[in-house]
Amino acid sequence: MSSFPTAMPPTRPEVATGDSPDRPGWARLATSPDHKVISLILISAAFGSVFLAALELVLVRLQLAVPENVFLSAVTFDRLLSVYGATAIFLFVLPLCIGLLYYVTPLQIGSRGTALPRLGQTGMWLFILGGFLLYSSFLFTPPEAGINPFPPLSQHIFTSNNGVDVWIASTGLVTLGILLLAIDLLVTVRNMRAPGMAWRRAPIFVWSAAIVSWQIVIIAPIFLAALTMLMIDRQLDGGFFTGGVGGAPLLWQHLSYIFFTGVYMAVAVTTLGAISEIVQTITRRELPGRSAVIGSLVAIAVIGTLAWTQNMLTTPIPSGFKYYAMLMSIALIVPFGLIFYNLISAVSNSDFHMRAPLRFAMGALSLASIGLAVEVSQSTIAVGSQLQQTYDAWAATHFTLIGFGLFGGFAAISYWYPKMTGRMLDEDRSRISFWVMLGGTLIALVPLFGAGVEGQVTDSYRFFADENVGLFNLIATVGTFILFVGIVLAIGNLVRSRSEGAASPPDPWRGSSLEWLALSPPEPHNFDVLPDVRSTQPMRDIRESLVRREAGREAPAGERQPVA
Amino acid sequence: MLSRPGKILTLISTLASATIAIAAFASPALALSLNPDAASPGIEKINTLHWILFIVIGIAIVGVNLAILRAAKPRHRHIQSDGKGGGRQLQVGLGLGAVALALFVTATVFSSQAREVPTGSSEVAGLNAEDQLEIRVTGQQWLWRYDYPNASFTYHRLVVPVDTTVALDLVSADVIHGWNVPSLTGKAQAVPGKTSRIYFRADREGVFSGRAFVLSGQGYDSMESEVKVVSPAEYEDFVQQLKAEIQAAQDSVVATQQEELRAAAEETPGGKVEPQP
Repeated sequence: MSSFPTAMPPTRPEVATGDSPDRPGWARLATSPDHKVISLILISAAFGSVFLAALELVLVRLQLAVPENVFLSAVTFDRLLSVYGATAIFLFVLPLCIGLLYYVTPLQIGSRGTALPRLGQTGMWLFILGGFLLYSSFLFTPPEAGINPFPPLSQHIFTSNNGVDVWIASTGLVTLGILLLAIDLLVTVRNMRAPGMAWRRAPIFVWSAAIVSWQIVIIAPIFLAALTMLMIDRQLDGGFFTGGVGGAPLLWQHLSYIFFTGVYMAVAVTTLGAISEIVQTITRRELPGRSAVIGSLVAIAVIGTLAWTQNMLTTPIPSGFKYYAMLMSIALIVPFGLIFYNLISAVSNSDFHMRAPLRFAMGALSLASIGLAVEVSQSTIAVGSQLQQTYDAWAATHFTLIGFGLFGGFAAISYWYPKMTGRMLDEDRSRISFWVMLGGTLIALVPLFGAGVEGQVTDSYRFFADENVGLFNLIATVGTFILFVGIVLAIGNLVRSRSEGAASPPDPWRGSSLEWLALSPPEPHNFDVLPDVRSTQPMRDIRESLVRREAGREAPAGERQPVA
Repeated sequence: MLSRPGKILTLISTLASATIAIAAFASPALALSLNPDAASPGIEKINTLHWILFIVIGIAIVGVNLAILRAAKPRHRHIQSDGKGGGRQLQVGLGLGAVALALFVTATVFSSQAREVPTGSSEVAGLNAEDQLEIRVTGQQWLWRYDYPNASFTYHRLVVPVDTTVALDLVSADVIHGWNVPSLTGKAQAVPGKTSRIYFRADREGVFSGRAFVLSGQGYDSMESEVKVVSPAEYEDFVQQLKAEIQAAQDSVVATQQEELRAAAEETPGGKVEPQP
């Protein structure tokens, strides 16, 4: 480590932020257009939200612990469920994915900032506003029309209180904010890559950033349009989603499911990109099937989003839509299978020390493999239309989202934690929280497959003793408690390691992409010197050239000379 | 570095947790069939497809997770040469593609036979299109109304004859409701402004029920779809009697109204109130 170039001369000095050290810390935090500050706020908000989401899930599961429970009333249950869904999707997975991409990608492409920093900052504040708005609704009436509030139920005649209006406004603000961040990210990765970094040399995570931001640029306006229509229906007596008078209730399902399915796939693409980076670094080798992995990520984003009608198998839409959704969903076996094969065989064929990032990454792959495989049976028309809206579907979705979102998120955070904070994450506490979370997830979700096959429907605030699902639900409630404890332990570890962790060198994992060239944590302008990228592993090139320089050997003519 | 007992302990705990995980996944599902009391021709096909998928998916999940456990197990390995491995990628991709194609063909065949597309035609699955019984099913918060062909109706419970093709026209009076009788029809949404037609033919008598599955407001938890299958003779008696009862009830209501109007007309000094039609 001693050979690391910490004091290179600023050959290309640049003022990235216009930040002044005189201002108080909170003012700098609130006004900084630095992508690292913005991302850290997003990521912190995401981990705060996952705590709230887990708390709400525990309350929901407590109500469902025994048949005909009277712990919560029907309306309280509906409100908790609606807020839980909005928190998990809009306040946890979306900002976590965008936050990670927005932090790491500019560093990986060797950029000194983002292309449109004020746009990203606006997006972050819109997101924060949306989150506060959702939770401020607990002061009057929280939304109660379900995780996805289908009109006509969510229209004014059937839900006349302001809950749904809050849901529309807060998810709309969050979606708009995420859209602005995605636009900034897309412009950045397209225009600000270091000299020499052609797309064929860009890290897999940068490909994830490009794919996810393209995806959000396409799906977020669709969802915003749907929200606007619902708002007009509610406030101005519009008829977009009113059945029978020229409106179409099913239009909402189409538009919202395009968005939700797209988000689901965006989470998968982000975390699989992060896991690929982790596997490459910890096994010290480039993935042999790098191009297959990148192609598969593109395929997942495209094919997965196109499969939105797999959520609508029970609706009266033309059967062609349903066969098409089934074809798309089953076709997803190929890209997901290729990525899983690449990652697992790369780990299998190498020698490594098991560290927190790889442990969480393996946990993510394991849980997501269960969820994705069961999703295949959900998407076949015959079986899927029987299992939709049961706890079988709920468990499959949660396996995938907890696998990719929570475990994948913790994998990525553990991997980039030294870069973000300059401290190492405590390995022992991380291992304990991993096993508690893994055990909790399995105990909480596996019994629900049984409950779903028995026919227990979701969203209902109680079930009855004659449904024969009491034991499944009781075990699931216990598991949810364990999962909650695990999440608290893992978040506690993130908070404590920030002050207690050992100081981290700039490149603790000996990574091969450019974020490890910057200091830990990076300077506001990221890099003093910009490298010249000659391969997919610029940091390895820099290390090799440093070794050569120390040995006093001149590089042979025509060889890699990465540092410009 | 772990000591030797530490390694053995890690190995044992890994294997034990894997076994528990696999057993926990497999046992509830193995003990269950999707619709153990299937009573309509298509539902058997759904059960069969569910078993096929369950086995394929079970093998996939166990295989992937064993591979993950093996990969993550701490040990020293012989590291392979840093080849590009493009050929392996292609082979794996082709293999997965073949699996996906096979699954798609299987699922398509079973889906079309299982009449699980609610808007599908009645010609599928050998259903007799000529003498089918058409019943209008209206969802409202939070019960179902059934209109029989002879203009009689019931709430809560649908009564149909055995061995007869029944066509249900699902409509909704307010919000979206989920029609769900797993043993006979599977799930279908009743959407306002749209009619979803689903078919079934019960092959034995009995009472079949299921819960509504689309959140429809605060009474959603108690909304049930219930079908009572009886013999054709009993069905005829039932609808005739129902019609007679409804007629009698309507007659008595009309009679009472006219009685009240007459009384009101007599009480009103010099007034003259026409009975409402």
